[in-house]
Amino acid sequence: MIEVSDVVYDYATTRALKGVSFSVKTGAVLALVGPNGAGKTTLLRCIAALDAPTEGRVTVAGLDTQEDPRGVHAALGYLPDFFGLYDELSVRRCLIYAARSRGVAEKDAGAAAEAAAARVQLSDRLEARAGELSRGLRQRLAIGQTIVHKPRALLLDEPAAGLDPEARRNLSDLILRLSAEGMTIIVSSHILAELEDYATQMLMIRDGQVAGGGVVAAGGGVRDGMRIAATFTDPPADLAERLRALGIEIERTDGEATIIVAPEGADDAETLARLVGAGLKVRAFQPARRTLEDAYLAQVAR
Amino acid sequence: MNPEFQRNLWLEASPRRIAWALVAVTLVYGAVFLAVHGDMRLAGPALATAGTAVFLVCAGLWGARAAGSAVLAEIAERTWDFQRLSALTPWQMTWGKLFGATSLAWVCGLTGLAAMVPALVSPDSAVDVWEIAFFVALALLFQALSFGAALIGVRKARAEGRAARSGGVLGGLLIGLFLLSSVAGSVGFQHGAGLDWISHVLGGRGFIPWWIGYHPAPVFRALSVAAFALFALAGAWRVMRLELQMRNAPLVWPGFLGFLAVFVGGFPFRHGGLAASLLAAGLAVALCAYAAAFAEPADRVHLRRFAAAARRRDLAAAGPLAPAALTPLAFSVLLIAAALAAGGLQAAQLWQGAALTAFVARDLGVIAYFRLGPQPQRGDFGAVVALALLYAVGGIVGASLGHGAGRALFAPLPDAPTASLVSGLVQAGVAWVLASRRLNVPRSAPASAPAS
Repeated sequence: MIEVSDVVYDYATTRALKGVSFSVKTGAVLALVGPNGAGKTTLLRCIAALDAPTEGRVTVAGLDTQEDPRGVHAALGYLPDFFGLYDELSVRRCLIYAARSRGVAEKDAGAAAEAAAARVQLSDRLEARAGELSRGLRQRLAIGQTIVHKPRALLLDEPAAGLDPEARRNLSDLILRLSAEGMTIIVSSHILAELEDYATQMLMIRDGQVAGGGVVAAGGGVRDGMRIAATFTDPPADLAERLRALGIEIERTDGEATIIVAPEGADDAETLARLVGAGLKVRAFQPARRTLEDAYLAQVAR
Repeated sequence: MNPEFQRNLWLEASPRRIAWALVAVTLVYGAVFLAVHGDMRLAGPALATAGTAVFLVCAGLWGARAAGSAVLAEIAERTWDFQRLSALTPWQMTWGKLFGATSLAWVCGLTGLAAMVPALVSPDSAVDVWEIAFFVALALLFQALSFGAALIGVRKARAEGRAARSGGVLGGLLIGLFLLSSVAGSVGFQHGAGLDWISHVLGGRGFIPWWIGYHPAPVFRALSVAAFALFALAGAWRVMRLELQMRNAPLVWPGFLGFLAVFVGGFPFRHGGLAASLLAAGLAVALCAYAAAFAEPADRVHLRRFAAAARRRDLAAAGPLAPAALTPLAFSVLLIAAALAAGGLQAAQLWQGAALTAFVARDLGVIAYFRLGPQPQRGDFGAVVALALLYAVGGIVGASLGHGAGRALFAPLPDAPTASLVSGLVQAGVAWVLASRRLNVPRSAPASAPAS
């Protein structure tokens, strides 16, 4: 769906992107992560055909951003990190204008606006002025405007910035719903925890370049190899030696929990049986899940 | 309906706002009617005068301000990227914004035109249809210029890494025109032949001599301003295309320069012949190079791409990327060469014309040098100061070397035009070598630490 090839982007005195290449398949939710100033926003703006790369090529749904920027604009939705709304217009008029300006026929614009309002749970606020909405509701309206024409790809730049926990949860739910409908989504953030719930893939940008191994599977609750978080009651002083004798290695401690690596070929039940059989008082035993932060740190370490 | 026009109507011309605006203009006309004590013979001309004032204030001034704000408000409210991502065509965006944002100003202005209508049928009235057409064209010109200037300002601000300011480009254009006309007049350049068309257009009375005929002033003024207004509208549309990431083939800008050359060249024709016309046209076109040099974003990346395409001799790629100032510079050289070929001018005048293009090239190099500096947001100001110093201090230094010939080393003067030409070419070379050094490839951006 999105192909980025050798993209270089220069500002007047700095090179922001230095030969970035990657591709995103249809239906993926890609977390675009990296430190502040890494070039994430610049990259998103190039994909959205808002800025032309100095070198390289970007295609969205088969359309080249430089050859057919208006076609790309019609194919995607983009929500910048700092967005504005027409505060004097009602939610309904904001959505109708967004629909009409994105090519929805005049006769269909009202229905498209109501459908978008329903998707972002703003149906009960259609007659409210945009300027009267809270931060979270404004975010929803902005996303509603972005998806009102049913784009094939959605780019969100730091969408959860400034949102309270409830609004963040609603945003996660919305992204999951849109993903389930087949939309390809790229979400940029430098706060990894907020991407945890919905990202299926991850791309790290660092100093204007793709870091790590390009697009990789995100954490997303995937079992993290043979790692297990075990908590022991009154752990003995020679815990490490006793575990090593069982073929189990300690990777690190995380609060009360000890992250252990089970022996190759042993399943969880067998590992637990070995621990209990060795007289250790196991209070909690939880196979470790790979988080986005783990994936990020693993890429940083490469 | 054009969605952009409709959105602007929602915001600008709500029934409540229209009602209040009509109440205000009705009070104006009512006050005028009371001032003539209800005398119907006096009321017609008085209302026509008031109508003219209302039209110029509302459609002209207020409309121009509203047209500029149509873009700058989008920047301030952070909705411009949303607009740039729309599926509307550049022309839909242009006219939807221009006429939507000015809709209330037009409603009020049209009441002024309505107040002028009764005076049209009066046999002793000075108001005629062409005068009304002139006012309408003038309002459209102001609005389109303001709108286009705002778009240019947005593009400049983005390239220079600063916030777009209201009226910056338009104010710069007016100040630049004033300064250039003052400089041209004070040095007696071609007796100001390249600039006197402005007074013809704005204040001409009776019949205006233009090319081979004399033309009724009201008709000439109305058609002239209408033509400039259409070019201003076309220019705004072309800049809108660029904002929407589309490419422009070099058509409208060269077309405008051609129109300007024909228009300006028509005034000195009856007194000076074809050579004088070509020279005056060359001067006017050369002045456009300054406007273009300041109006174009100081975009090193764009210039690097142009330079790369030019080195490859890829004209198809280089054409749309060519700096806008190049076309008027090349065109003015052609016009002056044509004036030389046409004959009938004194040699000093022609050499002075050639020296002018050399100094224009130098000035463009100076402008490029400052605007491509490490702080491009200060480039315009730095370039203006540098040019002022070059002409003022250079003039003083030159005068100390020898009043006529010495000064001619620092400005294209008729006293020693050959020296002016050589000096101008040398200075242009130095300026462009310095400017080209600022087109270097940038270093990498530093990144901050990640958060989790």
